[in-house]
Amino acid sequence: MPNWIDVGLLEDIEQEGVIRFDHGGRTYAVYRSPKDEVFCTDGLCTHESVHLADGLVMDYEIECPKHQGAFDYRTGEALRLPPCVNLRSYPTKSEGGRVSIDVG
Amino acid sequence: MDDLAYGTRNKRGDWSPNEPAGTAPLFVFPPQPLKLLKWLPHYFLPYNLLFALSAVAWWYWVLPPVEVMKFLAWGWILKLFFVNCIAVFLFFGAFELRLYVQRAQGNRFKYNGKWPSEQRSKAFFFERQNIDNIMRAFGTGLPIWTAIEVAILHAFANGYVPWLTFASNPWYLFALALVVPIIHETHFFILHRTIHLGPLYKWVHSVHHNSVNPSPWSSLSMHPVEQLGYLGVAFWHLIIPSNPIIALYQLHFAGFGAIPGHVGFDKVEVTGSTNVDSHAYIHYLHHRYFEVNYGDGLIPFDKWFGTFHDGSREGEARMQARYQKRKERVNAKSTNTPAAAK
Repeated sequence: MPNWIDVGLLEDIEQEGVIRFDHGGRTYAVYRSPKDEVFCTDGLCTHESVHLADGLVMDYEIECPKHQGAFDYRTGEALRLPPCVNLRSYPTKSEGGRVSIDVG
Repeated sequence: MDDLAYGTRNKRGDWSPNEPAGTAPLFVFPPQPLKLLKWLPHYFLPYNLLFALSAVAWWYWVLPPVEVMKFLAWGWILKLFFVNCIAVFLFFGAFELRLYVQRAQGNRFKYNGKWPSEQRSKAFFFERQNIDNIMRAFGTGLPIWTAIEVAILHAFANGYVPWLTFASNPWYLFALALVVPIIHETHFFILHRTIHLGPLYKWVHSVHHNSVNPSPWSSLSMHPVEQLGYLGVAFWHLIIPSNPIIALYQLHFAGFGAIPGHVGFDKVEVTGSTNVDSHAYIHYLHHRYFEVNYGDGLIPFDKWFGTFHDGSREGEARMQARYQKRKERVNAKSTNTPAAAK
């Protein structure tokens, strides 16, 4: 059974952008793709725990601000060194201009 | 000088050379004598000769008589510390001033298109790379450097270790001086590979890797444990029968010699038409990709252990293949729990 948590307005996330979202003592990164799709992953880079919301979104990649490692934010897959461990990704939806995530 | 005649610049503004980085033609089989002869001047010039001469200069003009070094007294130790600080400030500062403050050659031959002074990061003290790097170099690096120097000189002065003289052992000491870079490369590779492992990376070496876009001040910006291990290469001369001047050369080779790998430019322009190769690309690629090039290329350790990246597409493909395998391995083991908010 999904447990949808409201993140906020879609328009508050820039296209090809990312925001930080904290919930239940955890931190997440919520993305808006160039095609206005929304995605959510864990917020911290698996290499040195830097928040990815400070990073750069390019197409479907999020680049960590510290060492420029990269992940595919649709799946959480690590794409470029130094991170090797994938990010956990979460179901995300955009309805009526609001973004929600299901973090279990 | 047109740097695009020597390399390419990507959309980020990062420049990379057309020629892949190579390792020295030492320790290759079959031997390549002609290539070795052509390369040989680079073994001495410009850096190695400079560091060797600096050791001689320190011995004659900075250090007190041997009788004084038998005792640990603040006078000569503080003098040595201040001279070391001034020398590092002038030597590193000259590169910093010309390349990063005056930007005398703009971004020509600059590996990373960005300038450290324009990027703030919470990884650094006061969010400034230069301030952080300078604090670490002078706050812990130079005291550790001087402490190692004092310990070695004190040991020689008191006869705790054999002191071979140039008069009685000229050929042996000449040969030992020649292998100083080889001792350095071996020590550096083993230390560097070790501190990339698990907790040692996290607690020690990550400090140095905060400088993704290294500049001259990054050279000695390390955790104190790494500074001790790195500069401690000179302690080998307490084990190998040696002479204090050669031990000083070993220390200067590590200390002053940290700069070529961190200068951030492939070539340093001397005049409009002449330049000096920095040989920094191998170590720049290490700062960029982390898990390649643990050595500096004098001995092909990285080729032997499969971690060499020469900057070419083939090198990139080899790195990616290793990366995919490693990802599969670590993600199979990873529990991947959600990240806690800080």
